[in-house]
Amino acid sequence: MSSKIIGRPMDRVDGKLKVTGKAQYAAEYNPPGMAYAVIVQSTVPRGTVLRMQTSEAERAPGVLAVLTPRNTPKLPGADKFSAVPVLPRLTAMQDSEVLYNGQPIALVVADTFERATYAASRVRTTYVEKAASLKLEAGLERSEPALGNFGMPPPGHTRGDAAAALAAAPVRVEASYRTPTEHHNPMEPHASIAVWDDPEHLTLYDSNQGVFFMRQFLSLLFGLPPDNVRVISRYVGGGFGCKALPWPHQIMSIMAAKVVGRPVKLVLTRQQMFSLVGYRPQTLQKVELGASAQGKLTAIRHTGYSETSELDAFTEPFVNVSNMLYACPNVATSQRVVRLSASTPTFMRAPGEAPGTFAFESAMDELAHALKRDPLELRRLNHADKDPEHGKPWSSKSLLECYRWCAERFGWQRRSLQPRSMRDGDALIGWGMATATFPAFRMQASALARVMADGTAVVQCGAADLGTGAYTVFTQLAAETLGMSPEKVRMEMGDTVLPPGGLAGGSSTTATASPAIRSASNEVRRKLVQLAVADKESPLHGLAEKDIVVEDGRLSSSQDTARGETFAQLLTRQKLTHVEGKGDAAPDPAEQKFSSHAFGSHFVEVRVDEALGTVRVSRIVTAMGAGRILNPKTARSQIQGGVIFGLGMALTEETLRDPRLGRVMTADFAEYHVPVHADVPDIDVHFVEEHDPHVNPLGIKGIGEIGTTGIAAAVANAVFHATGKRVRELPITLDKLL
Amino acid sequence: MDRLRFYLNDRLVEESGLSPTTTVLRYLRDRAHLTGTKEGCAEGDCGACTVAVLEEDGKGAPVLRAINSCLLLLPMVQGKRVYTVEALKEGGRYHLVQEALARELGSQCGYCTPGVTMALLEACHREDFNEPWKLDAQMCGNLCRCTGYRPIRDAAARVAGLRPADRFARALAETKPEPMELAYTAGPQRFFTPATLEALWDVLDAHPEARFVVGGTDLSLEVTKRFAEPPLLVSLEALRVLRTLEPRAGGHRVGATVTLTELEDYSRATCPPLERMARYFGARQIKNRATVGGNLCTASPIGDLAPVLISLGAEAVVLSRAGERRMALEDFFVDYRRTALRRGELLAFVDVPAQPAGARAIAYKVSKRRELDISSVSAGFRVVVDEQGRVREARLAYGGMSARPARASRAEAALVGQPWTEASVEAVLPLLDEDFTPRTDHRGSDWYRAQVAKNLLRGFFLETLSEPAPRLQERHAATVQVR
Repeated sequence: MSSKIIGRPMDRVDGKLKVTGKAQYAAEYNPPGMAYAVIVQSTVPRGTVLRMQTSEAERAPGVLAVLTPRNTPKLPGADKFSAVPVLPRLTAMQDSEVLYNGQPIALVVADTFERATYAASRVRTTYVEKAASLKLEAGLERSEPALGNFGMPPPGHTRGDAAAALAAAPVRVEASYRTPTEHHNPMEPHASIAVWDDPEHLTLYDSNQGVFFMRQFLSLLFGLPPDNVRVISRYVGGGFGCKALPWPHQIMSIMAAKVVGRPVKLVLTRQQMFSLVGYRPQTLQKVELGASAQGKLTAIRHTGYSETSELDAFTEPFVNVSNMLYACPNVATSQRVVRLSASTPTFMRAPGEAPGTFAFESAMDELAHALKRDPLELRRLNHADKDPEHGKPWSSKSLLECYRWCAERFGWQRRSLQPRSMRDGDALIGWGMATATFPAFRMQASALARVMADGTAVVQCGAADLGTGAYTVFTQLAAETLGMSPEKVRMEMGDTVLPPGGLAGGSSTTATASPAIRSASNEVRRKLVQLAVADKESPLHGLAEKDIVVEDGRLSSSQDTARGETFAQLLTRQKLTHVEGKGDAAPDPAEQKFSSHAFGSHFVEVRVDEALGTVRVSRIVTAMGAGRILNPKTARSQIQGGVIFGLGMALTEETLRDPRLGRVMTADFAEYHVPVHADVPDIDVHFVEEHDPHVNPLGIKGIGEIGTTGIAAAVANAVFHATGKRVRELPITLDKLL
Repeated sequence: MDRLRFYLNDRLVEESGLSPTTTVLRYLRDRAHLTGTKEGCAEGDCGACTVAVLEEDGKGAPVLRAINSCLLLLPMVQGKRVYTVEALKEGGRYHLVQEALARELGSQCGYCTPGVTMALLEACHREDFNEPWKLDAQMCGNLCRCTGYRPIRDAAARVAGLRPADRFARALAETKPEPMELAYTAGPQRFFTPATLEALWDVLDAHPEARFVVGGTDLSLEVTKRFAEPPLLVSLEALRVLRTLEPRAGGHRVGATVTLTELEDYSRATCPPLERMARYFGARQIKNRATVGGNLCTASPIGDLAPVLISLGAEAVVLSRAGERRMALEDFFVDYRRTALRRGELLAFVDVPAQPAGARAIAYKVSKRRELDISSVSAGFRVVVDEQGRVREARLAYGGMSARPARASRAEAALVGQPWTEASVEAVLPLLDEDFTPRTDHRGSDWYRAQVAKNLLRGFFLETLSEPAPRLQERHAATVQVR
């Protein structure tokens, strides 16, 4: 059968649209009469707005409105969020309190962007300043226990007696690690265009990771029935977590559109993306490991702090990896948060796992060094054959195969144990490795599939493609299920008029939507077969359904493939415009009997110039056991992109705030260093073939985030191997190695 | 000409009434409704707004350059041909750059893609694409957060230097240069592009407050970030004489409006220390616009060109209606971001003298990220060693160590007369602490800067042991063979 489309390295279906500049992003809609809004931000870290002089701004040419805490309409549903444990409570000029430097305190709306920008610069604000909390370390004493985000359980776990086991352990390591504040920096700035179609109906063109989530939030906040709100987000220029939740700009564009009676566009500048949307919070972590003389883990204690805002108690759940990554009978992990005068942090690619694996997998390397054992051998020795946290079997796990493949490909057996023992000319060479992990789960979704009389198909699901390749893999899935060529199938996503899809978060998009798309497509296929065999005019009339083959948009007899007809012929004769199927999918309780995670490993080579402290990563070998891979080409790109995201975390990315004013000092690409073209080494990505019958009906685990886990530790471990210097504070900049 | 006049995707555009500080990016997205060109940062850091501009190079030959449209003001494309991503598909056929990017999966979220496409278009039409490292240099001005760059690199490797017979090749072959000369007024703002020095002096006599601009990679930030509306800008771009770049008296004359791309190309064969600095100066898109004079006249303590030129003994040649004035380049910088230029004067040339026999010279730039970053510390060194192996002259110039680019005078004095040995270098290193009191900021602590300054001098000694002006080592092969 030639119809195997799933698993093919198909080119992206939106590739040509994007290389011609035709993909339309949120800021590129142009409703008639559109006005432009620009946000004015606070310039003090903590205080109250005493007075705002807006008259000059109001008189400036083209200005339509200046909104401040004094005249901003009250949001009907604002109080509904105070009851939600963690997120999203937002500052949207509902009061005069200033909780961080860069908080939105006014909004200027004008007929052009330039005029709005100019007028915004003319708003003068007087504050009553209050004492600000700006340093994580200074707030440890007043820290609070971490809550779970969105009602998830709080991070942390206890089994056995870690304290006693640590005291008794023949070999112990204890170390503190630090990761900085980091910003997602998708290439497309956040953008919203709000259009009130009438006083009760709202359309929002927006760049976000889930239109239905956004609609739910907005309808609650503005007191509208969900059906009265339409959110459109067809193409998203990257998200990585910062476009998952709503931020003030969406609310402010909607409020402004109401006030001026015109559509309003609000686009954040790159600088504003460092204060008006979320970020990965900085963490302080302590890891203690106890082991037998042979290297068997006997105790794990992993604790620490992350920053959050005064408004909200977001937690970066970094200790959870330590609960489940290795077999160990005694584990104690817990976390606290420190409220600072800062904006609210949020999910960033592999939230928890990325900083958590840095600390924990660095500590494992320190343990290997203390034991004088090979770091890979130490991990093999402590491999968890079942989930040690919940005692459940893994739905599938290929970590040992990942280790084996990487080690062989990398040439790991030629590694010398001793740090500073490998050189190439002036450069010190280091080889390091680490384990990667990310949980697999899914949400609810629905889909609709239609085969049209012209022989094409439209498949709809209101999920999001942030650049991941979802449009492509869903097209493949639908095409194979429908029995059509992918060129004939058009996938539609990112709009609340479509059937509800999930939120692009937790690497769950494909696992969430695929079963719904498959079942909708199956229904169409079944209906087409039934139509054909029941139709006296059809060459297939009278055949049993099971004897019909569907391929390339054609139904035929399995005995005699020449006997058949195309979908178009069938529908045209039946005078049908289309045949339609619907699918719904939700997590099955049976899946809860298993613990589902993707696992992988990174092997990294670094070259260090000791005179200057510069580190270059010259080679990365990565293997992943991540369930069924629908498209190896898009999947490889996802892992490579994730790895480079982690490389930025390891070596260059760091948001710095002014220690007195709390203002972000690194608020642009010149100062916040994401990796550039020339920073990127050879990356060898391999997927271990994995058939997981338990995780979900299609065996999909998700690959958006796992690439970013473990990589910072692998680099730090390689740097230690090269130099003998253990860097426990990210990023590993040159000054830390000199 | 008193109107803006240029070609957009081969269509003639004439505009008046628009502010002369309107950027090409804003014009494309808001007025021409060509939204393929993206805004990612509006300050020349990300490359999402890259367009291709067909213009004349320093020798008057037509070239296609990838340029950040966010820093390009409309009068800067006067008489030129601007191409956006919308121009690539011809007669229903995708350009081979588009085919390669789509095939290699060089596009994920797609937002950086149009800019990547246009940077690749330049690569596609470059005649000098003969070495692999040029791929990094070509592409490092395009940030991408999704792909991990490898697919883009694969696409670039497929198309670089192919020079297909497309509409751009036709335009390169057929385009007749149009004058850039402009005297433009819109509201309270004016923009002059004089075509002769005489015309320039007339403008300066009438408007002594005028500000000069050429590439605009620095000045445009005032417009896009600080919302400045400079009342009067004078572009030096049409003054051919300032674009001189040629050997002179055994050394080189470098015109103030020579771009960094031209300087890099020129110095590759003629002046290795200068090439080193030009290579890591910035992104290709920036180097295609940024000029030698612009970099020097900002007088930033971390400007990349000053230390290397000072170490080579360069002189600044300053012109005014009254004539010519020369000074050692180190004396051109009088304080933090202040030059010795007087009203009515402009920096016209930098004269690099012939290097004496026995000279060893090199330049260094140290930054957190090798490509596309601002220096923490930079340095240009030259020592002249006589036949007895003694140091006859030492010029040790640093950036990032004080308020202006400056020489380490105590260390220099102590070196002169000493044998050029590792011991002599070690002996003068402590004097660097007397020469400089570096500051702490987020690019490096005072301690780090002081330490690196010393290590660079050590490195200079070692690197020039066997070769007096060593070239850059190319990127290491990715894999190390361990014995």
